[in-house]
Amino acid sequence: MRRKLSSEFPAGSVHSPGNDPTAYRRTTLSVWSIVPIAVFLLFFGSAAVAGNLHRIVMHADELEGGLYAYRMEYHEVTDKNGNTTNLTSRYSTAATIPGPTIVLEEGDEAEIELMHVFDPDNPKQEHVSLHVHGVHYDIDSDGTLKYINLYKDESATPVMSYTYRWVAASGTAGTWPYHDHNMNSHNGAEDKGLFGALIVNPASGEERVKISGTEQNISLSNIEKDYVLYIGDDAFWGMEIDNATGQQTPLWVNPTLTAQRNSYVRFHLIALGTNFHQFELKSYKWADPGSRKNINHKVLGPLEKHVFAVQATHSASYQDSAFSSALLGMKGDFIVAD
Amino acid sequence: MHSPIHGRKMKTITNLALFFTAWLLTSIALAATHNIILSAERLPNGQFGYKMVSHTSDGAVANYPVEITIPGPTLFVKRGDVVNVQLINETHKNGPGIKVGFNVPGLSIGNTDAAAPGETKNYRLNTHKTGTFPYHDKDNQLLGLFGAVVVDDLNGKVQSYVDGDGTVISANRAQLDKEFVMFMVGSTFWGTEISADGTQKPLWTNPTLSAIENQLVRFHVLAIGPSHTFHLHAHRWLDETEDKNPSAPPHIIDVKILNSPADSHAFTIKAGTGVGAGVWQYHCHVMSHMESGMNGKLQVVSAESGLPGDSIAGASPSGAIFGNPSDKPGLVTFIMSDEPGSWFRSTRGDLLKPVTKTQSLEIVPPGSSVHFIMSDTEGVHTVTTLLWPSEAEDNSMGGDHFMIPFDQTKAYRGGGIVELHIPGLYVFTCKIHPYMFGAVIVDNPGTDGLDLGNTINLVSGIKNLPTSSDLATRLLRTFFVATTPENWQDFTSSDPWKVAYPNVDVVVDIGKVPLIAVLDSRYGNDMILPPLSNPAIPGVGEVWINTQFEKTANKTKPGTITVLDANTWTLKRKIALPQINMNNPHNLWPNRDHSVIYQTQWFDTKLTLIDQKTGALIKNLRVGDTPSHVMTLPHNDDATVAINGENGVVIIPAGTTEVNYMMPTQHHGQAPANPHGHWVSADGKRIITPNINTSDAGIYDAETGQIVARTQTGEGAPGPHPIAIGMMPDSSKIYATNLLHHSLSVLDGNDGTLLKTINLIENYNPISGEITGPVGVLPIQTPVSPDGKAVVIAATGGQIVIVDTATDTIVKMLPCDPGCHGANFGAKKDGGYYAYVTSKFSNRVIVVDVDPNGDGDLSDADIVGSISMVADAGVANDDTVSSLAGYGGQGIVALPNVYNGWVQNLSGEWGAGLTDSQRNPIR
Repeated sequence: MRRKLSSEFPAGSVHSPGNDPTAYRRTTLSVWSIVPIAVFLLFFGSAAVAGNLHRIVMHADELEGGLYAYRMEYHEVTDKNGNTTNLTSRYSTAATIPGPTIVLEEGDEAEIELMHVFDPDNPKQEHVSLHVHGVHYDIDSDGTLKYINLYKDESATPVMSYTYRWVAASGTAGTWPYHDHNMNSHNGAEDKGLFGALIVNPASGEERVKISGTEQNISLSNIEKDYVLYIGDDAFWGMEIDNATGQQTPLWVNPTLTAQRNSYVRFHLIALGTNFHQFELKSYKWADPGSRKNINHKVLGPLEKHVFAVQATHSASYQDSAFSSALLGMKGDFIVAD
Repeated sequence: MHSPIHGRKMKTITNLALFFTAWLLTSIALAATHNIILSAERLPNGQFGYKMVSHTSDGAVANYPVEITIPGPTLFVKRGDVVNVQLINETHKNGPGIKVGFNVPGLSIGNTDAAAPGETKNYRLNTHKTGTFPYHDKDNQLLGLFGAVVVDDLNGKVQSYVDGDGTVISANRAQLDKEFVMFMVGSTFWGTEISADGTQKPLWTNPTLSAIENQLVRFHVLAIGPSHTFHLHAHRWLDETEDKNPSAPPHIIDVKILNSPADSHAFTIKAGTGVGAGVWQYHCHVMSHMESGMNGKLQVVSAESGLPGDSIAGASPSGAIFGNPSDKPGLVTFIMSDEPGSWFRSTRGDLLKPVTKTQSLEIVPPGSSVHFIMSDTEGVHTVTTLLWPSEAEDNSMGGDHFMIPFDQTKAYRGGGIVELHIPGLYVFTCKIHPYMFGAVIVDNPGTDGLDLGNTINLVSGIKNLPTSSDLATRLLRTFFVATTPENWQDFTSSDPWKVAYPNVDVVVDIGKVPLIAVLDSRYGNDMILPPLSNPAIPGVGEVWINTQFEKTANKTKPGTITVLDANTWTLKRKIALPQINMNNPHNLWPNRDHSVIYQTQWFDTKLTLIDQKTGALIKNLRVGDTPSHVMTLPHNDDATVAINGENGVVIIPAGTTEVNYMMPTQHHGQAPANPHGHWVSADGKRIITPNINTSDAGIYDAETGQIVARTQTGEGAPGPHPIAIGMMPDSSKIYATNLLHHSLSVLDGNDGTLLKTINLIENYNPISGEITGPVGVLPIQTPVSPDGKAVVIAATGGQIVIVDTATDTIVKMLPCDPGCHGANFGAKKDGGYYAYVTSKFSNRVIVVDVDPNGDGDLSDADIVGSISMVADAGVANDDTVSSLAGYGGQGIVALPNVYNGWVQNLSGEWGAGLTDSQRNPIR
């Protein structure tokens, strides 16, 4: 077990631990000192931030059966006027697969501190990280090992948290995966549950939906629900966000999705693992992003994303019709009710 | 200057200016004619590649490398150009030649025939559409015969890029600072850099790409063979689809699928925009490809750094390897194959074999790379180190950080690549097919003799084993026997059994020793094989045996079923099924009335249904990757097939020929179990799988498919490799062999509680080699006799071990052949049972009587005969045996099926020859 202390601390990583005692049982020598907001302002307050500033603390937890998962500890957001809102209650208090869905707007920045709470005596688990796709970040927020980035190990370890800074700059709107890159090897344990979604909503505030056969732009505020569906090698892993409240509900494997009739809902598909998939939502059609094509199925390879919105007019089922996926029962219902 | 378009900004003025400049230039230069002469040649490591001989055109021509390269020369043309390609096949100049063609999916017109060695063929391309297209040979493309054709727009317009401030900016080829062609093949990137002046520089494997911050770089990512997803850290780009919707927001991505069998994706980035300088990884995002080495770096350097931003080439097929001195890092390539013996075959194995005696051994200096390509197989595999020099695992000793031991969580299609620095012996295997072997000696040229290293570590957890130890040399001998059919035992010949080894000195922990002398003195050579003999008492019915390596004339894949008449001990039939190219038939089982034999194809995706009476094909159906074993449920006759390359057991309901569903062998998200040789309880309530990838025996409720228990086997050793299950006829106990832990686990038949672990090598000293009692090295099949008295274990180290189920102790060891593998019971005439035992590397089946006098005392268990699996001219067949006659003995099933639970359901015809106690084995 390493006992290196503050000399290696990434700037801005020191942070109040919150109220989970289990996280700190093994880390008495570490320096999770309580630091006032002033330190935070020292590093970030003077930067010109176009949008909102998010401060997030996440944990990586070990689950039963050889799986791991991310857990939200704390999320607050400060707007341009300096008003801060605590969003922590939107999230599950338990670790979930997929992990917490982080929702930003184009222009926002996020500072995410990751804490490592596995068995510190297992050298294969010494590292855990957050590697994010799509948004901007400097080399020290790549979430990789020094072996890859030739700079440093960008991991939370049993004795030290690690803070990543993501910039949802203009041009990064979209849905992006985040995942571990460092546990066990330089490939990480993304296939063991350490993944989640980042949604960067466009500054335009609009999403395209096909309504009565015609594609139209609707305001994001009209989207009642977002479904994050990770497509693993043997199951869909779901998470639902109620946009009226921002509340996130973990749906776990092959979930039944529910929607209010005629409401607008948005699907965020991300594949992960070794297999390739053929997603279908029967009797619905939607726009293939960037294309004129209207589609009802989509081939997806690992870490590809596919986002679309539909008006929930009728119940249907979704499935992965790839050979072994279909045999394994990778499917679920989409229930639309009044 | 910025005008908003679709919520984005576009630098329109700049673009307009560029457009007009380009338009003015291109309107002068009309369609050009290109006359391109390529040759196809063999590289020093045995791979093949294309080389530019000449390119003449009335337009601009690139500056090509003078050498053969992988990928081949990048052909830049413009839409509408006339492109004539002449291909000269010179593959025969440094070894055996192959036919080579030149195909461009979507662009080829006219002739697509391949050129034979020495021949020249002409091809023509239709350049009617812009884009990047792979060109390739059809048959041997994965060995290096591929390259890119780039058809650019007449005005030079290339893919737009996303700037750091989010604006989408169109770009012209004249603005590009450099371009990269990156082929994703197997689990390796093969790269070429094209500089602004058109110079093409080969970057070979997994190169470190480099660019100065804010340079414009176009990527041409291509793939042939299995699918990939390309990801580059910290950069994003436009997914310019064919049917682009101008009113939709641009589709910005950072991962892109490259779909099998051939695909391409081109995009432009501004290096480091929005993220700055840094070393950013690019990789395939398919997890198994990541784990098998499919990654590289893009180094973005700041302008202020003064660094030139030059890319660094990776290991190459023309670099330094044994027999090919060079100052560049070298690369050896193993083809992963369904071909018996040469499952890992060096691409220059035919040239090495006179020295190495096998095609599966390579020799390289430290710092070289080893490359694997699954180019000759229909199955899924892993590339897994079986053993390696101890120091290679230790990062502080200069070993490869997290790369050794080399392994993947999930079996897959692709390949692998790994750089080796520590001298010594590395043996690679496939976890799914654990007798596939490829070995690499990393030899320090400064030492006298080949370096095997001082100590090795084994995948099963043994650390620091001296290379002079008996276990180390025994494994080395196993490697030379398994990988070389000439070293297999031929029972039809009266010649002594000769094992050929390379005539070299090797350096081990005790110094330099002559390899042949050491192996011969420890294990003998030129041994007289025992004669074949029929058992005195006939058996009942037929014995169906998978002679998995036997080759026949009218199919490319190996394997037959040999049907033995147990009444007469003569061969009845050979079934090869050339019409479906039956591939490595591994295990089989009859349906209830014995009208249908279910046959798995272990290096393929198929289960084959065969007519028992005629040997004719009924149906060949896809069941999943690498199906291993099949058994029926005794109470309802549903067939259960272990999908060894995946994560479940598929069910085919009785009377149907379609897969119904897959019973998962693990919970969602967990590592795939990769079940191999399962068994079904006599009461039909339990399906038990040996889960090779997760080191446990899985006990499943056959009715609900629920997991009852997953019991770890192998006493906590890291890779015990549980491989086969046997079960008591009253369903009370489960026996599971652990291949690499050399043990037999005994579990409760209902809840899976571990009752006992029997160490099968307790009497073996791995250092001295002293054997003081019965041993079973590398145990595989482990059936329990239908009366429940004996367990017979076929141990691939060459032993048959008998365990008494009353005491769960070893009572006897009998000799077996190399690669001893399959065992199953059939009825002996007038009562009792025979155990039929097969071996991969011999061509006979051994008949064991575990209780010759029927007194229940197993101490007189003995071999009562052995029968050749080689058919003479009179034996019925559906194809002519062409080589490896009778070899590859693996799965066996005896008809009638006399196991408790099944025997009671036999039809009158099949039950007639059995005694009353055989029909009711545990009453």
